[in-house]
Amino acid sequence: MTKKKAKKSSLLSRRDLLQILGATGAAAVVTQIITSGPLSTEAIQEIGEPTHDGESSSEHEWHMGIDLAECIGCQYCVWACQATNDVPDDEMRWNIGFPERTEGGTDFFMTRPCLHCREAPCVNVCPVGATWVREDGIVEMDYDRCIGCRYCEVACPYDVRRFNWKVSSEENAYQPTWGVAEVERRPRGVVEKCTFCVHRIDRGLEQGLTPGVDQAATPACVVACPVNARAFGDINDPESPISKFLEEKESFRLREDFGTEPKVHYVRPEKEA
Amino acid sequence: MALFNLSLPQQNRERIWWAWIATASAMFIVGLFGMGQVLIKGLQVTGLSDRVPWGLWITQDLSSIAMGAGAFTLSAIVYLFRIERFKPIARAAVFVGFLGYTSAMIALAMDIGRPDRFWHPLVYWNVHSVLWEITWCVVLYSAVLVLEFLPILFATPFFARWPWLEKFGHILHKASPVFAVIGLGLSLLHQSSLGATYGVLSGRAIWFKPTLPVMFIISAVAGGISMTLVLTMIVGKLRNQRVISRRLQFDLSRLAGYTLLAYLYLKLWDWASTSYYSHAPGTAEALTRLQATTPYTQTFWWLEIILGGIIPAIILLYRPLRRNDRYVMIALALVVMGVTVNRWNVTLSGLVAPPQWSPGVLGNYIAASYFPTWTEIAVFIGILGYALLAFSLGVRYLPIYSSDREASET
Repeated sequence: MTKKKAKKSSLLSRRDLLQILGATGAAAVVTQIITSGPLSTEAIQEIGEPTHDGESSSEHEWHMGIDLAECIGCQYCVWACQATNDVPDDEMRWNIGFPERTEGGTDFFMTRPCLHCREAPCVNVCPVGATWVREDGIVEMDYDRCIGCRYCEVACPYDVRRFNWKVSSEENAYQPTWGVAEVERRPRGVVEKCTFCVHRIDRGLEQGLTPGVDQAATPACVVACPVNARAFGDINDPESPISKFLEEKESFRLREDFGTEPKVHYVRPEKEA
Repeated sequence: MALFNLSLPQQNRERIWWAWIATASAMFIVGLFGMGQVLIKGLQVTGLSDRVPWGLWITQDLSSIAMGAGAFTLSAIVYLFRIERFKPIARAAVFVGFLGYTSAMIALAMDIGRPDRFWHPLVYWNVHSVLWEITWCVVLYSAVLVLEFLPILFATPFFARWPWLEKFGHILHKASPVFAVIGLGLSLLHQSSLGATYGVLSGRAIWFKPTLPVMFIISAVAGGISMTLVLTMIVGKLRNQRVISRRLQFDLSRLAGYTLLAYLYLKLWDWASTSYYSHAPGTAEALTRLQATTPYTQTFWWLEIILGGIIPAIILLYRPLRRNDRYVMIALALVVMGVTVNRWNVTLSGLVAPPQWSPGVLGNYIAASYFPTWTEIAVFIGILGYALLAFSLGVRYLPIYSSDREASET
């Protein structure tokens, strides 16, 4: 009798516990059914995948090469980017550059555009699908869809994305010396980043130009480089500058261990002896 | 006990009540000014940056939702598992949950760069994003909370002039088990997904682990029950009467205590397996930098583990201490504090020690620091003021506790 009483006064009786287990199990089954049926990834992918026109086709895949041994640190690529993509604020540079030193003590200049990862962490996390990897590999943004939650900034391990904290109304000091604005400025409250100058690529292909070879179809930073430290082009075309770059030089990508599969390849700054 | 025993004359009690309402209103008004600043000038008025894009408001958002977890837990216990003796607290839990979720939504609306596009996640779907799933769950669950809360509202004398409303309220109340099931499902999803927001980011070693979602939901249950119970006990002390039975108070304390224990167990193994017994380069590198440049190691051990975990667990589970109301209230408040500090620590630790991607040795230390500005703090205080004001008025004028109902029925 006393035993029974002791049991009753415990927090949850055996019956309670069984009921809880049963109901939790049922809830799990329901969740499973819902997520495997109408809410399955396959079923929703069609709705979720943003459909955008533009010259996206699987025949091309755009990659960039940056030879840190060739780079002289002139920053022309940084400024050309700011002029072309109309980024007046130095804090918001899409293509950043800074003095660096290797472990061995060799000084070099590090520059970094968006790496346009194939497995881009920023793309997966966007709650509104305002950014995606195009079939040609470019990670594109829709400024009209972005809600400015900045989850993509949190997810990107390379510090690539920039948020418009204020209305960008100042004059662009890099124009016209380093180029003219080829795209519209972005409004306050949305995220932006390097686009591989996608507007040049798309328009260039329409005009029958070859991105990476013809300047009008090549990213501004690549064109601006006075020592050809940057190469660009279609990795599916063996004759493209980037294919030759990768063939001739020993390259690496930033933090391969993240599994992000970046499309920007670097050559180590130490000149081979 | 004497501390809370306000055996003051009625007139003085009224004066204290109005002083309190004035304080909460002042907090809310301060927040309105902050919100105006944010809407007019944009997020440049915050201390946030591209390197630390989330801060105080995300912490408030995450902890308000965690503190609202008492609603789904107790609704499930009462309406689904039919453990009737928890019923007297169910309404209070739903009310606290409603306030938590609305607070979170205000904080989120301030935090996004384009509040005019708050509806985008509902129209433009990206099912790969945990944040998309969270948005949907939070919106749907807030609707559930409103439906659970409406019967309480319709039972007030004000709505008696429209009898069909009370009837509608009765129907809604009859459907409580259904809402409890939906609420349980939605909460199991998003309370964990909030942890997954960080846990799935493979590029940030300090966050990338499967324990985060589980720790988030378990700590939310502990925090949610604690929040509901401590508020209920404060109401009881101020009214100088028991609003819930002593037995229920013990049961809830133990429930919070055991949940806290489960949370601590997970946290122990999370710490042991990610930093003590192992040496993953990314994690080790980030932790070393955190230790060198921030106080997060200290706040983790002292505020999260010892003050927010071990001490309240002992008080809530050791019978002689549990019998002391004042100790229990302190313990519950400590749990709330610990969970809130945890949300801050998780958010900020991953951001202020960003991954090193430069192939050199100098560029690895691009500054990443954050301190909230006055505008951010004002909005934070304003949202807190909203919750406190709404809770105080709700408890005073709505039949939240069963003792109210008995009073109004007789």
